[in-house]
Amino acid sequence: MTLSGRDAYRDELTRLAATDPTIVCLEADLGGKGHPFQAAHPDRFFNLGIAEGAMIDMATGLAVAGYKPFVSTFAPFAALRAAESLKLTLGYLGAGVTVVAPYAGVSGAWFGTTHHCLEDFAVLRSIPGVTIAAPYGEADMRAVIRSAARSGRPHYLRTGRNATYQSLSRDGDELPLVNWAQPGEAGASCLVSVGEEGTRLALAAGELRPELAHAHLTYLDHDHLAAAAAELSRRHTRFTVVEEHRREGGVAEALALLLPQCEVTGVNAGHDWPVQGGDHDEVMGQLGLDLPAVLSALDRLDRLDPLVAR
Amino acid sequence: MTATLDLDTSLAERAVQARKLVIDMAASPRGCHLGGSLSVLDILIAALHRCELDDGTQVVLSKGHAAAGLYAALHVSGILPQNPAPLYGQLGHPYTGHPGPKVPGVLFPTGSLGHGVPYAAGWALARRLGGQGGLGIAVAGDGELQEGLVWETCQVAAAQRLGNFVLVVDRNGGQNDGLVRDISPLPNLAARFAAFGFETAEVDGHDLTALSAVLSGDRSTAERPLAVIADTVKGKGVPAVEGKAGSHYVTIDAARAAKWKRMIR
Repeated sequence: MTLSGRDAYRDELTRLAATDPTIVCLEADLGGKGHPFQAAHPDRFFNLGIAEGAMIDMATGLAVAGYKPFVSTFAPFAALRAAESLKLTLGYLGAGVTVVAPYAGVSGAWFGTTHHCLEDFAVLRSIPGVTIAAPYGEADMRAVIRSAARSGRPHYLRTGRNATYQSLSRDGDELPLVNWAQPGEAGASCLVSVGEEGTRLALAAGELRPELAHAHLTYLDHDHLAAAAAELSRRHTRFTVVEEHRREGGVAEALALLLPQCEVTGVNAGHDWPVQGGDHDEVMGQLGLDLPAVLSALDRLDRLDPLVAR
Repeated sequence: MTATLDLDTSLAERAVQARKLVIDMAASPRGCHLGGSLSVLDILIAALHRCELDDGTQVVLSKGHAAAGLYAALHVSGILPQNPAPLYGQLGHPYTGHPGPKVPGVLFPTGSLGHGVPYAAGWALARRLGGQGGLGIAVAGDGELQEGLVWETCQVAAAQRLGNFVLVVDRNGGQNDGLVRDISPLPNLAARFAAFGFETAEVDGHDLTALSAVLSGDRSTAERPLAVIADTVKGKGVPAVEGKAGSHYVTIDAARAAKWKRMIR
């Protein structure tokens, strides 16, 4: 039984804290009852209440004093409400705080727009020095948490609500810069998948179009993307990025700037505000984020290619 | 008694020297937040004196616009070896108008009001978590208390029983656009902190003996954070600007600086 991103985070952090006494876990009243870290390490678990800004700033005090704080609250409250704290402490100060942000994208679904966050990459990617990751599946999340704990550097980790995703296969414990989920044919278009739902859609498109390549990216800050872009462009020249984020400030926009010699298009949340209920899938559909949209984007990209048009 | 007198004299001398440095910074091409730097100076000198116990106490100037006061206090307290006054606001030096961590003795970036309070609370939490002594002391302005983050942190600090967290309020009654009482007053301030679960103390914010006494306590077993409301005068020490809201940000020439420095006692 695979775990959701946030459950995998909690479990991995609890395990790491058994041998690293500097790890502390902070929540802002959204950690739920029965948090495994609280059960295993009650002296290092702090539910600070509904106080996201204070939580991130207090975590900074802990980090400067030598601890490794992991804080978690929903993505809109972490990336938007506490944005100034992220800028000053994760960015400017470079404090070793890891922010784990579930409910990213529209995974909050019927809870409504207040509980969606389609803007977090735009905010975090504009803050230099922050490592940004959007793990797909339990193994990815565990690897990212281990890496964050080892590094002592500021991290922002995006995940969803309770959905589970079968981890992609990879060699070894370390996450590759680019995980080639589907190698694809020479000269074919390449799907670039970001985050949980972006990767799910790309996998579905890959099943229908086995000639396509599919590259999954876990780390999304500028430094990682620049290195990934170099690897991507060695194999392909046409990319469709699938991401549960606004167009502006997203990964497609970043890759387009990094790969001026390539064609880069995107399937994303665009500019709409979902105003209806529905489950995660259905709210994504309100934003035009679904499998037909991915396939249409691939077709449009192929029409741009003179070889395919001929 | 002799030791106390010596200490009082020593701290008073530091305060005199620091006020002169702040005036020098007001006479720099950049000018500085003079009124708030002079109002908070004695608080900072007393708080930094507490750090001489070497017990892990950390002072965070949350009202970061009083950076000139902080740099001067750090220098006269021996924490910042370099005289910051001639370098204030200059290219190639870290003495910006709001302090950052490149300045010796400064661990946190402050100036966007409110943030220094939770930084100090986090520091206090770390000290307690490690079973170590020492305080996390935040120094905030009274106008700064209009920021929600301050009260968010007070709520958390009280709930976490952070007895080693101390919030000193430099109550000079002024803020950028005028007087606190005209813009967004804060009556019954001690009662507000008490209602949050804080211990409270009200002191003359220019009485170094009283400030040192209230900040010198061993709070390792305290379960309630401490709010120290320090009544101060904006522009304290310079008669021309004392108590005047217009002293908030001042740029003066060298002749005026020399005249003002002669008045410092």
